[in-house]
Amino acid sequence: MNQATHITIKLNRFIVVVIIATALSCNSILEPEPIDLLTDEVVLNEPKDVPIVEIGMYSAFRPIIPSVVIAGDFTADMLLHNGTFSQYRELGTKQITSANASVTALWGSIYNLIYLTNFVIERLPEVAGVRSVDRNRVMGAAHFLRGYAYFIALQTYGGVPLVTATSIEANRNVPRASETEILQLIEADFTAAQDKLPDVPVNAGFAGKQALHAAWAKFHLYQGNWAQAAAFATEVINSGLYELESNFATLVNTDFTREAIFEMGYTLNDDPGTSSTIGLNNLFVGRREIIPSNQTVLALASTESGDRFASIKFNANNLKGNDNGWSVAKYGTADENNNNVIVFRLAEMHLIRAEARARLGSVSGANSATTDINILRARAKAPAIGTVTQSQMLALIENERVYELAYEGHRWYDLVRTGRAATVMPPFNSNWRAAYERWPIPQRELQTNPALVGNQNPGY
Amino acid sequence: MQKLLLTYLLLLPVYAFSQLTVSGKITAVTDPSGLPGVNITIKGGTQGTISDLDGQYSIVAPADAILVFSFVGYRTQEISVSGKIRIDVLLEENAQQLSEVIVTGYASVSKRDLTGSIVSVKSDKFKEISINGVDQALQGQVAGVQVTQSSGTPGGGIAVRIRGSTSISAGNRPLFVVDGIPVETGSLSARNFGGQTDNALAMINPNDIESMQVLKDASAKAMYGSRASNGVVIITTKRGSKNSNTKITLDVQRGVIDPVNKLKLLNATQLLELQREAATNAGENPEALGLIPGITNGVSTDWQDEVLRSGIMQQYQVAVSGGDNNTTFYVSANYRNEEGVQLNNSFERMGATLNFDQQVSRKINLGTNLTLSRTLNNRVKGDNFLDGVYSGAIKSLPYYVPYDENGKLIGPGSGMYAGFPNFNPVAQALLPRFETLTLKLIGGLHATYEIKPNLRLKGQVSIDYNDITEDQYESSQTAIGGFLPSVGGQGYGVFIAQAASNMVSNLTLSYSKKFSDKHSFSGFIGTEVFRTFYNGGSVQGRIFPSDDFTYITSAGVVDAGSSSKSPPGGLFSIFAEGRYDYDDRFLVTVGMRTDGSSNFGPNNRFGYFPAISAGWRISQENFFNASAITDLKLRGSYGFTGNERIAAFQFLGLWNAATYNGNSGVVPANTANPNIKWETTREMNLGVDLELWQGRLQTSIEVYHNKTSDLLLNRPYPFTTGFGGIPDNIGDMENKGIEWSATSVNIDKAVRWTTTVNISKNLNKVLFLADSIPLYRGYTAEGVDATNIVKEGHPLGTFWGLNYLGVNPATGNAIYEDVNGDGLINNSDAMVIGNAQPKWIGGITNTFNYKRFDASVFFQFSYGNKVLNFTKATLVNMGADLQSNQSVEALRRWRKPGDVTDIPRYELNSTLNNLHSNRLLEDASYLRLKNLSIGYTLPPKLTQRWMIDQARIYVAATNLFTFTKYTGSDPEVSTLDGSTTAQGIDFFTLPQVRTISMGLNITLR
Repeated sequence: MNQATHITIKLNRFIVVVIIATALSCNSILEPEPIDLLTDEVVLNEPKDVPIVEIGMYSAFRPIIPSVVIAGDFTADMLLHNGTFSQYRELGTKQITSANASVTALWGSIYNLIYLTNFVIERLPEVAGVRSVDRNRVMGAAHFLRGYAYFIALQTYGGVPLVTATSIEANRNVPRASETEILQLIEADFTAAQDKLPDVPVNAGFAGKQALHAAWAKFHLYQGNWAQAAAFATEVINSGLYELESNFATLVNTDFTREAIFEMGYTLNDDPGTSSTIGLNNLFVGRREIIPSNQTVLALASTESGDRFASIKFNANNLKGNDNGWSVAKYGTADENNNNVIVFRLAEMHLIRAEARARLGSVSGANSATTDINILRARAKAPAIGTVTQSQMLALIENERVYELAYEGHRWYDLVRTGRAATVMPPFNSNWRAAYERWPIPQRELQTNPALVGNQNPGY
Repeated sequence: MQKLLLTYLLLLPVYAFSQLTVSGKITAVTDPSGLPGVNITIKGGTQGTISDLDGQYSIVAPADAILVFSFVGYRTQEISVSGKIRIDVLLEENAQQLSEVIVTGYASVSKRDLTGSIVSVKSDKFKEISINGVDQALQGQVAGVQVTQSSGTPGGGIAVRIRGSTSISAGNRPLFVVDGIPVETGSLSARNFGGQTDNALAMINPNDIESMQVLKDASAKAMYGSRASNGVVIITTKRGSKNSNTKITLDVQRGVIDPVNKLKLLNATQLLELQREAATNAGENPEALGLIPGITNGVSTDWQDEVLRSGIMQQYQVAVSGGDNNTTFYVSANYRNEEGVQLNNSFERMGATLNFDQQVSRKINLGTNLTLSRTLNNRVKGDNFLDGVYSGAIKSLPYYVPYDENGKLIGPGSGMYAGFPNFNPVAQALLPRFETLTLKLIGGLHATYEIKPNLRLKGQVSIDYNDITEDQYESSQTAIGGFLPSVGGQGYGVFIAQAASNMVSNLTLSYSKKFSDKHSFSGFIGTEVFRTFYNGGSVQGRIFPSDDFTYITSAGVVDAGSSSKSPPGGLFSIFAEGRYDYDDRFLVTVGMRTDGSSNFGPNNRFGYFPAISAGWRISQENFFNASAITDLKLRGSYGFTGNERIAAFQFLGLWNAATYNGNSGVVPANTANPNIKWETTREMNLGVDLELWQGRLQTSIEVYHNKTSDLLLNRPYPFTTGFGGIPDNIGDMENKGIEWSATSVNIDKAVRWTTTVNISKNLNKVLFLADSIPLYRGYTAEGVDATNIVKEGHPLGTFWGLNYLGVNPATGNAIYEDVNGDGLINNSDAMVIGNAQPKWIGGITNTFNYKRFDASVFFQFSYGNKVLNFTKATLVNMGADLQSNQSVEALRRWRKPGDVTDIPRYELNSTLNNLHSNRLLEDASYLRLKNLSIGYTLPPKLTQRWMIDQARIYVAATNLFTFTKYTGSDPEVSTLDGSTTAQGIDFFTLPQVRTISMGLNITLR
C-alpha cells in the first residue's frame, strides 16, 4: 500500500465521519434550546412560578408611575423643557401630538401591565397546589394593579379600550369603552382585591390593604364622592402603619420613609439610569431635559411652602440662556437612596381628606380641612392657616398640593378634575387648548386597532 | 469518454500507447522572450503542465489530443497535436477576459459560459484607492451595486446594496463569503457611538484579495439559497501558482488625509445678534438670558477647526508567492494605519495571510487558507450623540473656548463651557479612551479527492472567528464620566468582550462528462452545515479615585454588567446544481438549495430555493454572420432566494427575566407566531452579452424584476394586546432595474486607453403591508411621527414630513400645507416628501498607458437621490433654543414685515417655524472624482542591478473633487448606518475625507 492510497483511505473515513456527523448534528442545529428565556407553556404552571410572576407584575407596573409624573407635572405648569427631545419639547411648548413618544410610552406600559394581570387572573386559579396566602396576595395584586392602571388610563386618555382577557386576536380590535364602563371595572377590581391583599406587605414596594384604601380614597375624590374619599383616607391615616416624617427633606432624600404607603422600588441594579426615557433622575438632573418652571420655583420658595422648598435645588453653573438653574431634587441616582417613585404617601391622604372635608363643608374646626392642612404645614415648618372660607380653602388646597406633592405627578390631573385647567393654563402658555385636558390616543393605536378609527380625543 | 479514459490511463505507463511527448515555446507579442506560467492542458482531461520561465513546456499527450493553452489576460488557444512533437504558440493578448474563470461559490465556470448574472472585480481595480475595507472596493465598480460610506470615519460603516433592498428589517447586507466562509458584516462593537459605527469588513485587507465576484441573480446565487436575497459577494484571496518562480512584492503607500467640506456657521457676533432677536421676538429680555453684547461675544471660536486635523495614512505590505509542481503558497504581511480627521481618531490594522496548496498524490489535493488580522480602532462619538466630537463642534456656541487660561481643557460644570446639551468637543475627543481591539481569524481546510477524473469529492471546513474587546474610560472631565452623576460622576469605565464566530463545513461531489462533441454536462451535489456562535460580557465601573486610575479594578462602584450567549443557531442545507451545454450554443443551469433554519418553527423550518437559467450563444449559430461580433449571448434566469436573518425563537411565546425592588421575576417578551416563515424573493433576470472586434469592446445589458414576499417584520399590533407587535411575514416588495456595463479598448497603440463604465437604475417599491399600516422609521421629528415611513406604493427610504410652503412675508412665520384642511398643522398633515433612493448610479474608469507611464481616473456618481439634511433642524432652528450655533443661512431670516425670504422668523422657544418638513430635504446627486492615480514604472536597466524585477512609483488621490448641489457637508452620508428604511440622513455626520498619497510597488523574483 503506497502512501497515496493510505491517505485516500483515511480521507474516505474522514468523509464518512463528516457525513454521519452532519446528519447527527442536524437536530441540534435546527432546534437549539432557548437561553435565558422561558416559553409560554412553562410560565405559571406550578406553585413555585407564582412569586416570579408576581414580581413580573410589579416590574410591569413600575414604568407607569414615572410616566404619570411626566404627564401630571409636565402637561401642566410645573415644568419647562430645557433639552433636545421632541417628545418633551412638545409637552413644554404645549404642542402635544398623537405621535408623542411619552404619550405612547404610558399607554404601552399600562396595557403591558394589563396583559400580565389578565394572564394571572385567568391562569392562577387553575394552578394547583398554591398556598392560599400566596394565591390571595397575587390575585389581589393583579386586581389592584389592573384597577389602578385603568384609573390612570381613564384620567389620562378618557374612556380607553377595556381589555380583561389575554386573547391577542380579540384585543387587536377593541373599541373605546365609556368612562362609566372603565369606572365599573376599577370598582370591581378594587372590590376583588379588598379581601385578598395582605394587611401589611413586605414593604411599601408592594401593595397591601392600605395601598388599596389609598387608591379608593383617590378614586372617590375624583368622582366627587366626598364622604367615601374622606372615609378611606381616614382608614389609611388611622391604620397606625404610617406617620409623617418629621423633616420634609427626609421625603426628598430617602426611599421607604415612614409615610410611604406604596412606592415603586428601584435598586442599584435596576435603576433606569439613562437608558430609558423614564429615568427621572436623568431627565431632571442628568440631562436637565426638564426643569422646574419659574412660577413653581417661586411657589416652593414661598413661606407657605416652608421646608417643601427642598423638593428642588439650585446650581448656578446651570444658569445660562433660558435655563433657570433649578432642578427637581426628588429623584436621585442609582447610588442615592431616593430613586423610588411614590404612588401613595400619607400626606396625600391628608390632602384628600382636607379637600373632601372642605367640599362637605367642614372647613375649619376640629377634624376639618384646616386640621389636615395644618398637620402638613406644621411638618413643613410653614405658618398654620387661619380661618378661611370654603372657596378660599379649596384654592388653598390647590396650592398646598403643589407644595406638598410637587413632581409626584398630580398637578395636571388636579387642574382637570377641578375644572381649573382652563383658567390656570392659558396664562402659563398661550398655546394651551382645551384639548390638552386629555392626552391623545397614540396615533399608532388608531392605526393598528380598527375599532379606534375616528375615535381620537377631540382636538388632536 | 474515450479521451477522458485515455488521459487517465496515460499516467500508468503500462497501458500507454500512441502517446507523444510534445514540447515547444510559448511567446506573446509583448513578451517575445517567452511567457512563463501558461497552463497547458489536454482538452477534456485533467492533466496538464505549466510553461517554465523561458516559456518552454513539455507534455505527454495522445497523438490525437487537443492541447489547450491558457493564461490569464490572453486568449485561450486550442491546438490539435496531430502527431506533432513540437508546437510553438504565440498567445494573443485578450483585451476582454471572457476566458476568465469565475468562482460561483461551490464551483467555477468560464465567464464566457455564464448564464447567471455575475460580475467580477479584480484587485487592480481598487489597489490604489485609499480604502480600509473590502466593501469600499466595490463602490462604483459594479452595475447594480450601491455602496454608501456612512461617514468619513476610518473603519466606519459602509452600506452595500445589490439590486436594491429586498427586506425591510431582516437585514439588507449582502452575504460576504471569503474563501468559502460567510463572514461577519456590519458592526461588531457592542456600544453605540452615535452614528459612528464600526465595520467588520474593515478587518479584511483588500490587498490580499485576488478577486471579488458579485452574484446578482437567482441563478448565480442559487447555491446560497436562504441567505442570498440581498446578493452574495464571493471573495477569493491570492494564492500561489504552480511552477512559478518565487515572487516577492513590496508595497508602500503614505498619504495625507484632509477634511473636505467645512460647514459655514455664524461667528459669535452674528449669533448673538440672532439670539437677541429671537428672544426679543418671544417677548423676553435678551440681557436677562445672558445675551449681552461685548461680553457674550467676547470670543469667537471656530469649533470645526478645533476638532478637525489632517491625518496621516500609511500602508505597507510584503507578499511572497510561488510554487513548484506539487505545492503552491502565498504569504503576506501587512500594516495600515489611518488617522481620522477628528482628533484622537485612528484605525490601525495589521494582518498576515498564509495560503497553501499541496498535491498530496495524484488523486488528492489539500489546501489551507489562514488570515489573521488585528485592528485597533480609536473611536470617537458622533452624530446624534450630544457628547460627540464633530457633532459637538458644529453645535458648540462660538462664545465658549476649549481651553482655560492655563491651557487646561474645560470640562463640564465650568462656567466657561456650561455643558449640556453640548460639551466641549475638544475634551470629548482627547479625554476618553475608546479602544476597540478586534482579532479576526479566517481559516479553512479543504481537500479534494479525485475518485475518477470526472468525479470529485471535495470537503471543506472553515471558520470566521472574531474576538472583540472594548476598553473604554471616560474621565471626570467628560460628559458621561463627569457631567452625568447617574452614569459616571467621577469617571466611567467600560470593558466589553465578545466572541462571534461562524463555522461552515460542507461536502460536495462534482461530476462532469462530455457525451459527444455536442453534449456536455457538469454538476455537483452537496451538503452543508453552517453554525453561528456568540457570547459576550461587559462590566461597568464608576467613581474612580482620580483620572489617573482608568481601569475598573480601581473603580469605587462596579454595579453594572452582563453576560450573554446566543443559542448556537444555524442552517442545515442540501444543494445541487447541474449545467448542460449543447454545442456551445445552448447553456442551461439548474440549481436548488434546501435550507433548514433554527429561526423558524417546525411548521416552516425548511425553505426551498430553486433556480434555472439558460443562455443562447447566437454567435455560434450557422446563420450568424457578422464578423465584427465575436461573441453574442442571450441569457435569462428565474429562481428564488431567501432571507432568514431575524432574531432566534420568534416562533415561540417568550418571557424575559425582570427585576423589581431587588427581586427577580418574569415578564412577557413576545407573543408566539408559530407560522412565521422564510422571506423569499422571486428573481427574474434577462441579459445580453456582446463582444466586438476580438474583445476590443465588451458590453452587457441586463434587466431584472425581483419580488420579495413574506417580508419578515414585527407586525404592529395595538398595545391593547399587551404587545407592540408580533414577528410576522407582513409584506411584499419589488425591485426592478436595468444595468449596463461596458469595457472598451479605445486606443491600443503606443498609447493604450481603456474605458470601463457601468450605469444602473433600481426601482424599489413596497407593494403590500399587512393591515396597510405604515411603519415609521428614522428619527422622531418636530411635529410629525418620524422622518421616514414605510408605506404601500412607496420605496424604502421614503421621507415623511410636512409640506413647507415658504415664509409669510407679513408675519415671518413658516407656512405649511394643511393637508386635511382642519385648520391645525400637526402630524395628520404629514405626507411623503421624497426618497433616498437614487435614480441612477454608476462609475466610469479611464486608464491610460504610455511607455512606462500609467494613469487611472475613476469617477463615481449618484443621481436623483435625496438627503435629509437633518443637521439643519438644529443649525437653522428658528429659535427653538439658544444652545446651538446656527448656519450662515440664518442670516437670510425674516426680520420685518415685507421681507421675502425662505428662512422664517426666529422666535425663542417656539418650534412652529421649525416643524419637520421638506425644507430639510435636498437633492444630493453627486459626481465624485473617486480616484485619480498616475504611475511610472522605472526602467528595468535601472532596477535590475538591484535585483528588482519591477518598480513602480505612483501618486493617488481619493475623493479629490465632488460636484453636488447639496448644501450640507457631504452628499454621501447616512447617520443610521446600514439602515434601509432610513438611509440618507445627514445628522452631524462627518463628511468623506480626501486622501492624497504616494506609493511604491516593488517586485523581486
